[in-house]
Amino acid sequence: MMDRNVLLEMVLEPGTGKALEVKAGHILRIEQIDGLQCVDFNCFNLHDYKEFMHCGRTRTVHGFNPTKGAFLWSAPPRERALMYILEDTVGRNDVLFPRCSAYVYESAYGFDTHTNCHDIQAEAQREYGLTPDDVHDSFNLFMYTEIGRNGRVTITRQDTKPGDYADLLALVDVLAVPNVCGADVMRTSNFALKPIKLTVFEATDEEIAAAPKTPTLKSQRTPKDFRNPTIKTERRLTRDSAYVAEFVNTPVRLEDVAIELSDEEVGMLDGLRQPVYGADDGAALRDIVFTWWEQKFLGAAESGAPANRRQETVMRSLTRVRYPFLSFSSVRGAK
Amino acid sequence: MAGKTVVVRLNQQQLELLDRTIARGEATDRVALIRKALREQAAKPRDGGVR
Repeated sequence: MMDRNVLLEMVLEPGTGKALEVKAGHILRIEQIDGLQCVDFNCFNLHDYKEFMHCGRTRTVHGFNPTKGAFLWSAPPRERALMYILEDTVGRNDVLFPRCSAYVYESAYGFDTHTNCHDIQAEAQREYGLTPDDVHDSFNLFMYTEIGRNGRVTITRQDTKPGDYADLLALVDVLAVPNVCGADVMRTSNFALKPIKLTVFEATDEEIAAAPKTPTLKSQRTPKDFRNPTIKTERRLTRDSAYVAEFVNTPVRLEDVAIELSDEEVGMLDGLRQPVYGADDGAALRDIVFTWWEQKFLGAAESGAPANRRQETVMRSLTRVRYPFLSFSSVRGAK
Repeated sequence: MAGKTVVVRLNQQQLELLDRTIARGEATDRVALIRKALREQAAKPRDGGVR
């Protein structure tokens, strides 16, 4: 932390969490003190809590173990990069498991009360007026998970060391909520609860520049784009009698394109035909066309997120045609 | 040439994607684009798996 403008330093004691305002261009360092401790993490847009980190989107873009170079994305329809993993000395993080909950410890272990990540998250974010229902699936730092051949996910022991850390660069102003994972009767943190150090400090220009720019697209909608922008405060659900469905691009219209294939091309079609289409030549050819398109044009833009500079360059060139309104957002001045 | 006529049924979104691809110069029209896709896919080396 030499030559750093440190804004906050604190220790998260076992069983606790903390909601922290981390402004765009600031870094939250989550650091092992004793080692061997899992940390659950969530974040919200500080200016609109309805935009929050979404493990599903993050998992889709970066895989099951996001690490250095990955973004933490918000849920659709916002779908923005909220934070960027600037550094990660361990590289074992998880977005498969949800946060552990009181139910887990009661149902499996018989505890009336037990430290658990959902309730710790809820208690920490209560400082900002949020409710237990506002806790979302967590980004699980220093959580070693594996997927078995049977499709089940398991937790294994970890080997993080004192001083290991992950640096999360805020790309927009966020409310960041890390907590010491409450699992002491699981392998998650090697059967013990340990403290964690948190530091918030200003990023350097070089660090900010290290975060690839993500696209700003028309599809990234905010409440001003919603047909119903009002946050519902009534818990009971009642039908809106004035509701009229407005699904986009409906009804779906079909058009036939007839193509004369030569004998040679019929042979190509038969050679490429997926068995699932049987004798339906049109469906088989349609599959070939869009498979061709995917392979030729989708590439790095598939997930809408450049993982590195090279991919960003590729995506810029590809999306220019697909999205003429494309521009790239910068961390500076982001809200 | 014997060959055969194949009818590809596409919805407006699929057609939009193909038309934007045509607009970037990949082919002159929809039929030409479909033909190009077929031929380019057929020319790819087979790896034994789904392409």
